[in-house]
Amino acid sequence: MVHLVTSDNVEFVVDKEVVERSVLIKNMLEDVGETDQSIPLANVSSAVLRKVIEYCEHHRGEPLPSADADQNQDETRKRTTDISEWDQKFITVDQEMLFEIILAANYLDIKSLLDVGCKTVANMIKGKTPDEIRRLFNIVNDFTPEEEAQIKKENEWAEDR
Amino acid sequence: MDKFAALEPTRLYSSSASATNKRASRAQPISRWIGKLPADIHLLVLNHLPIPDIPAYARASRATAGLSRDEKVWERRWNDLSITRHALDDTLDDLESKQKPKASPCSPPTISVDDDFGDFTSAPRMPSVPSLSAAFTSFAFTDASPGKQTFRTRYTRAHSILNKCLAPLKQPPHAVLSALTPLIGVSLLSQARSLRLLGFFLSPRVQPVRNWDILLAALKAAIDRFDVSLLTAFDAADSRGDEVMMREAARASWEVWPGIGDWEMGKVWAEKREILYEQGRWNPLANFTEENTLDFTPMDEFMASIIRALEEHGTRAVFVFPPAAGVLIGFAERVANEVVGEYIAPLLTRAREISNALYLTAVAASFRESWRIVDVLTTLSSNFSHKDKDKAEDVVFMMFEPNMDEYLDEEIESLKQAFEVICKEWARSTLALASHGLPTQAQQTRFLTAQNPALMKRTVLASFTDVLLLPVTIVPRTVGAGVVAVGGAVGGAVGAVGTGMVQGIAMLNPQRWVGGTGSVNNAKEYTSFGLRNAEGEAAIFEIGADEEGGNDSVDESSMAQSSTRDTVSIDSTNTAATSFTPSTFDTSQTNVASSTSAIKATLAPTGNLDLLLSLDVALQLIHADRDALKRLEIFASYPGHYGIRVRETIEEAFCEMLGVLCNRHLEKGFGIATERMNSYKPAEHEETASVAPLLQFFELVHIGDTIQSMVQVFFDKELAPYIDKTDFLNVVVREKKRFENTLDDCVAAGLNAGTQVLMNQVEHIILTLTKPREYYPPEDAPLELGPTQGCTEAIRCLDTHCKLLKGSTSKEVLEVFYQEVGIRLLAILQKHIKRQIISLNGGFQVIADLNAYYSFIASLKVPNITADFSHLKMLGHVFVVEDAKDLAQIVRDVTRYGGAYRPEDIYEFIQRRADWKKIEKTVDKTMYNLSFKEDCIVC
Repeated sequence: MVHLVTSDNVEFVVDKEVVERSVLIKNMLEDVGETDQSIPLANVSSAVLRKVIEYCEHHRGEPLPSADADQNQDETRKRTTDISEWDQKFITVDQEMLFEIILAANYLDIKSLLDVGCKTVANMIKGKTPDEIRRLFNIVNDFTPEEEAQIKKENEWAEDR
Repeated sequence: MDKFAALEPTRLYSSSASATNKRASRAQPISRWIGKLPADIHLLVLNHLPIPDIPAYARASRATAGLSRDEKVWERRWNDLSITRHALDDTLDDLESKQKPKASPCSPPTISVDDDFGDFTSAPRMPSVPSLSAAFTSFAFTDASPGKQTFRTRYTRAHSILNKCLAPLKQPPHAVLSALTPLIGVSLLSQARSLRLLGFFLSPRVQPVRNWDILLAALKAAIDRFDVSLLTAFDAADSRGDEVMMREAARASWEVWPGIGDWEMGKVWAEKREILYEQGRWNPLANFTEENTLDFTPMDEFMASIIRALEEHGTRAVFVFPPAAGVLIGFAERVANEVVGEYIAPLLTRAREISNALYLTAVAASFRESWRIVDVLTTLSSNFSHKDKDKAEDVVFMMFEPNMDEYLDEEIESLKQAFEVICKEWARSTLALASHGLPTQAQQTRFLTAQNPALMKRTVLASFTDVLLLPVTIVPRTVGAGVVAVGGAVGGAVGAVGTGMVQGIAMLNPQRWVGGTGSVNNAKEYTSFGLRNAEGEAAIFEIGADEEGGNDSVDESSMAQSSTRDTVSIDSTNTAATSFTPSTFDTSQTNVASSTSAIKATLAPTGNLDLLLSLDVALQLIHADRDALKRLEIFASYPGHYGIRVRETIEEAFCEMLGVLCNRHLEKGFGIATERMNSYKPAEHEETASVAPLLQFFELVHIGDTIQSMVQVFFDKELAPYIDKTDFLNVVVREKKRFENTLDDCVAAGLNAGTQVLMNQVEHIILTLTKPREYYPPEDAPLELGPTQGCTEAIRCLDTHCKLLKGSTSKEVLEVFYQEVGIRLLAILQKHIKRQIISLNGGFQVIADLNAYYSFIASLKVPNITADFSHLKMLGHVFVVEDAKDLAQIVRDVTRYGGAYRPEDIYEFIQRRADWKKIEKTVDKTMYNLSFKEDCIVC
């Protein structure tokens, strides 16, 4: 069992097998060995960690993607396949939580969860106008009108008319 | 808590998770947030974003615009098009050139855009994200300069080209292909490749347009239609025999095949081959002759026609189909499984019904025959890589796999049975011999009769090795067919092992040599010739041993032929041997010079010298084992699970043979011999210089030694390729070691008993031949200073037996044996002397005898017993000293005897003097300065 402490000081006790889906923690445990000390996760809040652990519990025992998965052919194939039903349900959360989960997955190095999150975000972007995208990510439009026109022209080929 | 604090900012484990960490380190998340997410996560999101959404994303802000140009994103998209991987660049160029004439004006000026953007980002009015824009400027410049090299431009080009081909897909299904044709060309191959390219383009990985999924479905339908038309064209070409057209259609069809499931065209083609449906033409049971033996000539024909078909269709397949499609292997697989496999199954079933031995032969033979498929396949496509060759072999391996379990079990089982039969037969025959015990059954001791057993053994081994080298018949054929096969062997076919190994080995059985070779066969005649040569030598050699030579030479040589391999074979009443016996008897009567012939002479009458070990049995065992091994050898290249089992079975077969040879044959034979020696009572036999059981035992030692050498040769020749000889843990090596140890133990135990018997005999001789007054001759008797008769006989007996062992056992064993003989002889002699009454004259006789014993012992060249006997020789002197006082001095002089005898011991010896009563007092007085008679109170 591994003790995890979130940023808001909530302690979680999780199966080693479950928590090792996080490559970060897995490596840490490999290095430190068995310990009763709790691991501080300063970037993760308890609400997010609960979700993350739920995900890890569900995917317990599945093989971890290999380190050089980017080059792997199968991995690329998997990348574009749809999100599984359970994951879809799991990731149906409010936008804030979604981003939090993505950040946590990135930090904890849980590749599959990160992928699910990114796909979901990509789906959210689909069909949106630039303005809607700005709102989604909370980005300020820093273009001059000429620049924006330039960018629009540059990417014209990709538009689907 | 402190312990982990350091881990957070710098990842310690960058090496273990390189890819993910690369992303993390590249991102530097704290400094590069775009909105709510760090830039690196934006990149990940971009990877999943459909192409049509990218413009909107790029327009969101400068940062997103920068990201939308990131090479990482476009590298993925480009790779997803699989253009490089499938070498479709040319197709893309083709498509572009076809579009040129009517190139649309809205064709994107991609390269210039890049340049524009470079200007734009390097403009000084962007202070909001300076680090990003600066980084991007240099990035954009370096990438833009090599022009088309960036993945983005490459993708952009492909996208715009392919996008124009999408329009026809929106038409109704039946019109799609014809609408596409002007865009993708008319040649089947280019059409196929273009369709394939479009397939990659419309994949969910790329998502080039909004309605890509609908278009993809339309494209798939079009591809199916295209494939069907190809199939039709292919069939038509096939029926016309138009290979070029077939090839074109096949290549095109292969191009559009999505890579999942079976490739229709190859399958359909293979299915149409007639060879798969001709089973009725062949009758597997024709391979059995009327006498229920095997003759694989029909199978030969069957295989020949299969091979012909394979060659014919295979050549075409190699030409027509792309090598990657593996149509040839697939076809061969079907032929193997559906035709050859079906042929073999009833064959084996029938063989099994007839007998197990037949079954084993049939399995090996049919496998050998099937193996020809592999050779054909290999020759068919000369550019077979190593992997392809493995595949070709797998075809046959897999076809044969169902038979393997049963076969391997049966092989060991029947090997055990064969061993059992051989042993039983042998036991029966020995029993018969023992119960009859008639002179007609007299066996000659081959090794002992030869003057040089070592040479003899070498000859035997040489011919044994020859026999091992005999080719093996795995595929039984009639003699005629066999010869044909030998002739055809040059052609490179597999089964060209013309000669009958069975006959070959059987030639080792002496009786058959006399009969001459039965069937006509070149190779066989050659070997039998070799064997005869070897035998000829042996014969010459034996004649040389015999003084009389001339008269006997005819007998001798015929004898040699039949006897060099010991002839205790089961049903042998060896007439040559019996006719030979009296002649040697005569020889030895007249000619005592050679002691070996003397043994022969004395042996012949003893009659019951049946050998308990037989080279013949050993040969039969090895032969049976070799049969099995040779069969197993064919399967030795089997991969995977069955390969391991085959090798295990090979080892087991050898171990089994050793075990039987060791436990059932050697141990038993030696056991009986030892027992006989133990029960041997010299007194019950006529006076003779030879001890029959001992002689017999020595012969056994020789035979045992030869058997061991044979096993060694067999091991080296047949088994060494399959096991690691230096691996002392290997079960075979261990078993062999055990076999050798057992043999040594048997010899040692036998020698122990043998020494006992020999010494009993010697003692018996000395006792019986020493006359009462041997050492106390009448005063007037003429003094003959030679050894007594008892002495000469004893020495002769010892001498013959000691010489017999030479060359059969190791020097160490021999030395131990000699030493034992010496020590016991010493004891016997001392006891013997103490039994005698010795006068002064007789003392000279004693000395003469002791001298003779000494010179015999000295000839054995064992230092410590030689010393003992020289001391004993000195002891003889005490019997010839006249003066009592001198005698006493001699007795007291311990150094004289090298410390071997104490004065008390010598005192005992001098008591045996005839004049002891007279000199006793003087001696006592001188020795102990007292006289018992005077000083003793009791007396």
